[in-house]
Amino acid sequence: MLELHEVGYRFPSATAPAVSGVNLAVKPGELVLLTGPTGCGKSTVLRLAAGLLARHGSGQHSGEVLVAGRAPGDLRPAQRVELVGFVAQNPNRQVVSGTLGDEVAFSLESGAWSPALIGPRVLAMLRAVGLPEEPKRGTDALSGGERQRLMVAAALAAGAGLLLLDEPLAHLDPAGAADLMALLRRLANSGVAVLLVEHRLGIALPHVDRVALMAEGRLEGAVPRDDLDLQRCRALGLRLPGLLDLEDRLRAADRWPWTEAGVAEPQPEPAATGAPLVSTRSLSFRYPRAETEALSDVSLELRAGERIAILGANGSGKSTLLACLTGPRRKDLVRDGRSVRVPQDPDLALFCETVGEELLYGPQEMRRPDSVAHEAGRALSVDDLLDRAPQALSRGQRLRVAVAAALACEPDILALDEPTSGQDHDQVERMMRALAEAPCTLLFATHDVDLALRHASRVLVLDAGRIVLDAPPSELLHRLPDGLPLAIPPLVTWCAERGLPLGTAAEVAARIEAG
Amino acid sequence: MDPRTRLALLFCVGLLAVSLDRPASLGLLCLLCALPLLALRVPPIWWLRGGLAIGAVVWGTVLSQGLFYRALPRLPLLEVGPITIWREGVFWGLIQSLRFVATLLAGLAVATSTPPDRLYAALRRLRVPFELAFLAATALRTVPDTGRTLMAVRAARAQRGRPVWQRSPWAWLRLELSMLRPVVAEALRTARSLAESLDSRGFDPSSPRSSGRPLKLAAWEWPVLGAAIALTLGAVGMRLLFVLYSSEVLYIPSLRPLYGFVRQWL
Repeated sequence: MLELHEVGYRFPSATAPAVSGVNLAVKPGELVLLTGPTGCGKSTVLRLAAGLLARHGSGQHSGEVLVAGRAPGDLRPAQRVELVGFVAQNPNRQVVSGTLGDEVAFSLESGAWSPALIGPRVLAMLRAVGLPEEPKRGTDALSGGERQRLMVAAALAAGAGLLLLDEPLAHLDPAGAADLMALLRRLANSGVAVLLVEHRLGIALPHVDRVALMAEGRLEGAVPRDDLDLQRCRALGLRLPGLLDLEDRLRAADRWPWTEAGVAEPQPEPAATGAPLVSTRSLSFRYPRAETEALSDVSLELRAGERIAILGANGSGKSTLLACLTGPRRKDLVRDGRSVRVPQDPDLALFCETVGEELLYGPQEMRRPDSVAHEAGRALSVDDLLDRAPQALSRGQRLRVAVAAALACEPDILALDEPTSGQDHDQVERMMRALAEAPCTLLFATHDVDLALRHASRVLVLDAGRIVLDAPPSELLHRLPDGLPLAIPPLVTWCAERGLPLGTAAEVAARIEAG
Repeated sequence: MDPRTRLALLFCVGLLAVSLDRPASLGLLCLLCALPLLALRVPPIWWLRGGLAIGAVVWGTVLSQGLFYRALPRLPLLEVGPITIWREGVFWGLIQSLRFVATLLAGLAVATSTPPDRLYAALRRLRVPFELAFLAATALRTVPDTGRTLMAVRAARAQRGRPVWQRSPWAWLRLELSMLRPVVAEALRTARSLAESLDSRGFDPSSPRSSGRPLKLAAWEWPVLGAAIALTLGAVGMRLLFVLYSSEVLYIPSLRPLYGFVRQWL
């Protein structure tokens, strides 16, 4: 269905090609994962396959892209939509209509389908992706996962046999991401060729047929899932599914299967002995025009020095809770000290011309010495970027600059909203390790249970705006309420069953190997 | 309501706003334009903010026109030392500001209640050129997002520094301008995503499109539209006749009651 022959592309302002010599074929009924470190050219390959760069990009092309034997870049958009569907990372930026029906019908209308055929086709597509057959339902009311499924329906509505997706799981909670992957598997089983670019291997890998690895603009081959070179994945900084990673490491050390009794190191549970910084009493919050409360009856106390993870599904109220805890004063909230929140999109916190100015902004505003900014820059490893424009940095660097700029304000409370969203694993790990020593209370909202368990001293689980669990991480395994779209990672369960302390696969393997 | 009906009503409001010349009638028009906004169920604080903004526009225009009105004849309304507020200027300022407010409220009502693709379809059906229709629909799609981005940037900045007003006007201005940088960057990213989304779903201005939900006026919309058009044309016609009479171009004695009505009410 898709054939890439020696495909290359160089952006107009670049001296080196973003991708070169890419050869890949995806057959009907096949689900192929294209993965690699940030900036390796995955998205460029996807856009070349979709014909988007051929039509709009003014860079230099080489090689040949064929979809069902035709070059998508040479086709008019209305013809192309019958061959290939494309879904991008952020569902919120792709929605063009106000209702489910209009959104799915858009590509059919572009193809000048007869109005009599559009209605039934819209219903069939909504059914196919597991959305309610309510074409008049507003797109605003959908969760992130539902929106992404709507985008898949819209992309395939005109009958495309090839579906291309660029990090569609980036903004989804584990349940939404698993649902989307199951949908993609079903579509592939029905004969659609699917090429998926994704970092979240833990969720994607079990569903795909083959994995194509990319690094520095070149494809290193596409192999069946079971033949994936895990060593090479680790070298590229990819986050492998924890248990698969551990098994591979222990096999290499001839220690798998590992059946011994646990090492039984006691889990460190730092006691919350600091002074109370924030306390809320029955805090509730409702957005304008919302039917229900985003936060309901939240009572809690945050103490100095705590590392608090806020877990929950998309729309459970995590960001709202962070915004309330760090936002303007309210009657139902008492707060001591300065709080700084880094938004989910860190770009919104970067407004200076250079990284250096960004770091110095807070200290200068508060008449603090410049050394505070330098220390924050060093802690987050951005001190070598001081003369660069923040907007020109990579996604991971921008996040670290935003966090360093927040840290330079010497906050009593530092809040991070979904720091893993759209970031690769290495970047987030480095940042969280750097923040472990930060002299402030750390609050972070995330879908990533593993990250929360390893970096938090306390976990709050939110469901529909209510706190359903407030406990130390070790208790999360035993007390996580049923029915929540949060999955305990298999590696965590494996460690817990064997009495091993939690950690990354590398840490656990090292402990086992050390006896 | 069909988007074409909304656009037609908006056009009527625009014509009425320039035709009416009495504060009372313009005030009534403003109230009528504000009614659809009630359906938006915005929180009271937004009504308060909107009311304050409108009040500031009306007050500013009234005051400036009252102070700097130059046409003759003019009568002083208030004299404070060397400063004179002119009665005719105050009225003129009130009329001008109410015209602005009426069209603003009607525009807001249409913009907030019409999905961009429906607006685009309506504009194209009304034979508006593609570039203009697409520009309007895209602006409608992205303006609220841009507003939200600006608020998020301001909130993020506020947590890292002093309040904006605790600095010189020049530093304040520089800070406000610097905050546009992430807003523009975000707008560009959104524009790119939206363009990709439209392109990958076959949108092509040079190709014919069909519609899964063809534009169709409901039965009740026809009388509403008819009444609005008749009212607008009536007001515009009466205003034209009055202007011809007052500028001594055309005087028809049998229309004296109409001239009186226009002078009193329109």
